[in-house]
Amino acid sequence: MPAYFNFAIKRLWQFVLVVFIGINIAYVITHVTPIDPVEQSISAVTSFGNTSPEAIADMRRSLQELYGLKGDWIEQYISFWRRILQADFGPSLSAFPAPVTSLIARALPWTFGLLAFTTLVSWSVGNLLGALAGYYRNNRSLKFFGVLAMALHPVPYYIVALSLMIVFGFIWPVLPITGGSAMDVQQGWNWQFVASVFHHSVLPALSLIMIGIGSWFLGMRSLVSNIITEDYVVYAEIGGVAQSRMMGSYIIRNALAPQVTGLAMSLGGIFNGAVITEKIFGYPGLGSLLVDGVYAGDYGLVLGVTSIAIIGVSLSVLVIDLIYPLIDPRVQVAS
Amino acid sequence: MRRLYTAFLATVMALSLVTLFSKNVEAQGIPQNIPRKELLILENPEGTIKNAGWFNIWAINAGSQSNGLQQAALDTLWYIDPEKGIDGAWDNSLAADKPIYNADFTEMRVKLRKGIFWSDGVEFTSADVKATVDIQIKNPNMRFSAVLRNNVASVDAPDAETVIFKLHKPNSRFHTNFTVRWGAIWILPKHVFDKVEDPTKFDFNKPVSLSAYTLHSFDPDGKWYIWQLREDWQRTSLGRYGKPGPKYLAYVDPGPPEKRVIAQLNHELDVIHDIAPEGMFTLAKQSKSTKAWFKGFPYGHPDPTLAGVIFNTQNEHLKNRDVRWALALMIDIRAVTMAAYRGAATISAIPVPPTGIHPDAYHKPLEAWVKDFEIDTGKSKHKPYDPNVSKQIADMLRPSMGDQIPKDDKEIKDSFGLGWWKTNLEAATELLERAGYRKQANQWMTPDGKPFTVRLMVEGDLRPVMTRAGTMIVQQWKQAGIDARVDVAQGTLLTRRSAGDFDAFIGWSVETWGGHQDLSYFMDSWHSAFLAEPGKPQPLRNWQRWSHPELDGIIEKIRKIGFDDPKGIELGHDYVKLVTREMPFIPLMAYNVFTAMDHTYWTGFPTSDNPYANPVTNWGNSRYMFVKLKPAN
Repeated sequence: MPAYFNFAIKRLWQFVLVVFIGINIAYVITHVTPIDPVEQSISAVTSFGNTSPEAIADMRRSLQELYGLKGDWIEQYISFWRRILQADFGPSLSAFPAPVTSLIARALPWTFGLLAFTTLVSWSVGNLLGALAGYYRNNRSLKFFGVLAMALHPVPYYIVALSLMIVFGFIWPVLPITGGSAMDVQQGWNWQFVASVFHHSVLPALSLIMIGIGSWFLGMRSLVSNIITEDYVVYAEIGGVAQSRMMGSYIIRNALAPQVTGLAMSLGGIFNGAVITEKIFGYPGLGSLLVDGVYAGDYGLVLGVTSIAIIGVSLSVLVIDLIYPLIDPRVQVAS
Repeated sequence: MRRLYTAFLATVMALSLVTLFSKNVEAQGIPQNIPRKELLILENPEGTIKNAGWFNIWAINAGSQSNGLQQAALDTLWYIDPEKGIDGAWDNSLAADKPIYNADFTEMRVKLRKGIFWSDGVEFTSADVKATVDIQIKNPNMRFSAVLRNNVASVDAPDAETVIFKLHKPNSRFHTNFTVRWGAIWILPKHVFDKVEDPTKFDFNKPVSLSAYTLHSFDPDGKWYIWQLREDWQRTSLGRYGKPGPKYLAYVDPGPPEKRVIAQLNHELDVIHDIAPEGMFTLAKQSKSTKAWFKGFPYGHPDPTLAGVIFNTQNEHLKNRDVRWALALMIDIRAVTMAAYRGAATISAIPVPPTGIHPDAYHKPLEAWVKDFEIDTGKSKHKPYDPNVSKQIADMLRPSMGDQIPKDDKEIKDSFGLGWWKTNLEAATELLERAGYRKQANQWMTPDGKPFTVRLMVEGDLRPVMTRAGTMIVQQWKQAGIDARVDVAQGTLLTRRSAGDFDAFIGWSVETWGGHQDLSYFMDSWHSAFLAEPGKPQPLRNWQRWSHPELDGIIEKIRKIGFDDPKGIELGHDYVKLVTREMPFIPLMAYNVFTAMDHTYWTGFPTSDNPYANPVTNWGNSRYMFVKLKPAN
């Protein structure tokens, strides 16, 4: 146990270091962007009419002060870390003065809800069917599913998404193709809103599951195909162990270890958002927020979203590293 | 295990059935609790609004403007329609009359309408106008603070219907700040803002409105806003034109262009702000109920914005007028309009958008001058203008578009514009040679012996139509021997445009009122006093960084005459002649906006045959459409 404790402390430090380095890289990249948020704002502000050049110069000075772009980079850097430690990413420059944290807090549940659900469903169904397909290799419907998964897997995501949108939004218009919920339905824990969210998430979720399920299916089928040729499985089969026990305890459990690692990585990646899904289906979420922030030169917002993603991915890897020795006895912690 | 597999399949099938039939097929992208026949659904081109609950338009860069806020809820002193307007392009909105200036334009007096009320029942008065100015001057970080601080010495409200602005220096166009073209300085409610400690941090949610609609509901995720007609709509400035047709307006983010087309085909989006030409053609072909500005080709509404090739005239090579003209003469405008708009463009050879009042004020009166305009290359003389280009474009389109292409000469010119410059490689060669350039094989070399390179900056997929125009021009320049390259700027365009980090770009520096002949809207900022040094940020709109003593003279004369003075047109003609001679940018065409209007639920939309308003959904002026719309049978 002391060995495990030391291992955990070491991994925790590595996690802190990775997050620190990652956020610093994000800080540097966002601050060397050629997009000037002041120019973006001036363009938006002056779209109303004939603003005189003197007024523009005046406005430029005001905006630099307002956005905290005055002062040297050391002051800005220290101020940035001071705020990060208080979980404050400052105001969004493209939605001033709304705090970045409030924008993220609004987008995150949508992203988390959609991606966590689709990742878990893809993982569960893909692995279940993959395991069955690897074990029952002569089953016709599983064979058909295998062909389907192989055919869908290499298709670019946006083709699948657009096809679904055209089929269910235009040719047979039975599903909504835009937004996270219906218009004029107040958000909250009421049946109309919940049903509306479910209804609106069908197409984005279906598109993600259709593409996501294939890799889990194919991976699991390969793993099971190998495992069933192992001596201990053959021995158990000869020994008359029940099929359901064989599948559960001898095959799937052993095949699951790498799939669990993959699941953790995928769940961590949720915090990156799903840019293409959000754009195609007009679904609210972190991905669109990030892209809008990049185009607007809104480094506070970009840094906020990327920091969340960095922490999310690093944390999921940390969790997997910490629980792996506990769930897989073959993994030994160095003493 | 097999049981598990069977159970899985059964679950999937059951969920599919529940999902597909759980909702009414009709009710997918429309409000659930509002009768469709009372609702007009319009696109908000700003897309998804990040801080959706922010309605304080007087704060910098905070919330949405075209979510219905400036079209349905706010109001200001005057409007100028880019087209003809309901009762003329000029409309006295909150003002009872036109602005009255003193002799030297240092004072502007405004008489206000009586009987206008805010949606919370408080009467609108001159105190609101005064507060709009005072609050923004007092708080320097508000949207209109800089322009007001730079202009206004003081503002007085001697009685409830009179406002007197005293200006720091003469400004015969000060009223344009309170005149809606796309937007303007909107009047804020004094009785609300008086109670606010920091107006820059006040969200103004729920907004108190001054125009005919008030906020009904909105999506906290910024996808939609619904506005409801005020019961006391008669007590607003729009009330003069009768009761608005739609009881409800929904401004929505319908998503990318293909989804807008699907939404309109499903009758879930009555007005599309803009789509690619191909989307417009699809709607024209597949939907009997969709109509656009023109009843046939080229469909789109020509905005009073002139797209062109804007040179950086501080560039060593492009400061030479001969070089700029040579590049213009290498262009085949027919191919450019085909590439950009699939031919659905309204071209202009002169530096004024071919829309609104401008064809009558500038294009037609000056066509004789343009026809006679001559370029002397030193070796030969050329008359570059071809008055038949629009007819040639129409003829090129006719085999594929058939009856959609007008046949009548006047109709062709109204739709496609007048003429443009003929491609003339011989004249271009002579001009470049006079400038010291030499051709080696098929490559033009600069006077110092290097390949003549021009990077043409485009915005990429953020503005595909203009990018396609730029790509075609680069191709034509390459064929003529220029080392031309497409420089895709994407989101950096605004920053690079301001910094002068380009050789040339596709965009615009000419925006006009459309419905009024005055050109000072863009031209005043072209005065040499505002020209930035190379490398320094250039204030809008002189992106070509070009100045000319003759232009300064024209601008200074315009500053000294009234807005409606007929001399303004004469001075505008002088501007056209000067810029045509100097070619600091190559005018191409109006920025056509493909606003598609579905007549399934509403009729009476503005069109080129009945041009009472600009239908483009994000313009403040589009509010005039509401009073003309009637429910379809």
